[in-house]
Amino acid sequence: MIQQILDQIGSSFGVTWPKFIAQLFLFLIAYFVLSRYAFGPIMKILEERRKRIEEGQLNAEKIKKQLAEAELRYQEVLRKANDDAQVLLEESRKNTEAFSQREMEKAVKESAAIVERARHEIASERNRMVDEVKREMVSLVIKTTAKVAGRVLTPEDQRRLSEEAAKDLAA
Amino acid sequence: MVFPLNFLANAELAAESPGFLRDSFLGWFTNSILVTAIVLGVIVWVVRSCTRNMQVIPGRGQNFLEAIVEGFYGSVESILGHKMTVKAFPLLASLFLFICMADWSGLFPGVGSIGWFHTHNGETEFTPLLRGTTADLNMTLALTAVSMTLWFYWTMQVTGPVAFIKELFGVKGGMTGPILLFLVPLFLFIGVLEVVSILVRPISLSFRLYGNVSAGENLMSTMINIGNLLHTPQWLSNILSVIVPIPFYFLEILVGFLQAMIFTVLMIVYIQLSTVHEDGSH
Repeated sequence: MIQQILDQIGSSFGVTWPKFIAQLFLFLIAYFVLSRYAFGPIMKILEERRKRIEEGQLNAEKIKKQLAEAELRYQEVLRKANDDAQVLLEESRKNTEAFSQREMEKAVKESAAIVERARHEIASERNRMVDEVKREMVSLVIKTTAKVAGRVLTPEDQRRLSEEAAKDLAA
Repeated sequence: MVFPLNFLANAELAAESPGFLRDSFLGWFTNSILVTAIVLGVIVWVVRSCTRNMQVIPGRGQNFLEAIVEGFYGSVESILGHKMTVKAFPLLASLFLFICMADWSGLFPGVGSIGWFHTHNGETEFTPLLRGTTADLNMTLALTAVSMTLWFYWTMQVTGPVAFIKELFGVKGGMTGPILLFLVPLFLFIGVLEVVSILVRPISLSFRLYGNVSAGENLMSTMINIGNLLHTPQWLSNILSVIVPIPFYFLEILVGFLQAMIFTVLMIVYIQLSTVHEDGSH
């Protein structure tokens, strides 16, 4: 019964084994050619590209992570450098203050010594000048007295006059 | 106006061999097989032209081809999953491309209309030189045979015979207890229906494609000969034979595409049903 139906369908629609196998063979060739030379290579390229994109994304993620870590490290280094600089500045300020204090004291001492020395020099100069003036004055008194008295003064007179003049000048 | 019953049935159901070959050892070489060989040649030529210099960074032509393949690949992958798509995609894409080109090959001028008259059993018959590939049941049966064989192979490979039988006849939904006494016979019956539906698939696939394309050829043939069939004057018949078929050409282009799509989508669904389980695993 089934065989009869199949035979009837076969004869009506022209289905025979040789024709069927020929069509099957041709489609299998088409399937092989398309798989081997079209879809295979395209799928391979698509897969390769997908892998590259994934790798790229992974690399980008990695770089982003490394960048974030580097940023953290940079911030840390910067913070540490700031702290160190602050400490250095503080030390430097203290050193400067101490140095300037020392220099100030040294300068004050030196200036006091200079003033003292100047004062001493002025005093010795003044004494020298006073002695000079005294000598000149005594000499002048002796010369004047000799002129007024009209005579030549003896060494005794000169000594006495000199002592008197010195006494008056000292008073 | 009354038309005779055979008004539309003016194309042969079967592919035919040329008269001089019919009784020779090349009697299997039909006009449909000739068109299949031409379609195959075109496919080989197009494929080699497009994929001769494949590059990771594609040119314009390769980019266009890749966009189509990638789109189709993505659609298949969303249904079958990555693992099964890698196995089945070449077959599915080949089926779609081959059926589409085979369907459209029947629309070229000359296919079905250029041939010769000969006398057979005392009657004058017209044998066309070329006949649409998918308008031959041998071709659609061959497509189905390849598809269903690979479907069965992948099902056994991925699911395994025991799991496949369990999937067909087993009680679904994780039911336990006395209720199984009622459910087991019910699911056995459903399993038998499932087996019948699987056995019917090759017939439905092959006859659907053959029927649609064959009907399309009949329709086109009828539209081209509409003037003669309505017994209009010859000059009007000539004009009608050019003008009337034009909209039907567009319809047949659409039908050819849709039939290729339907065949491929049904194969995707069949593979999905037998290889992807309820929990989405393979």
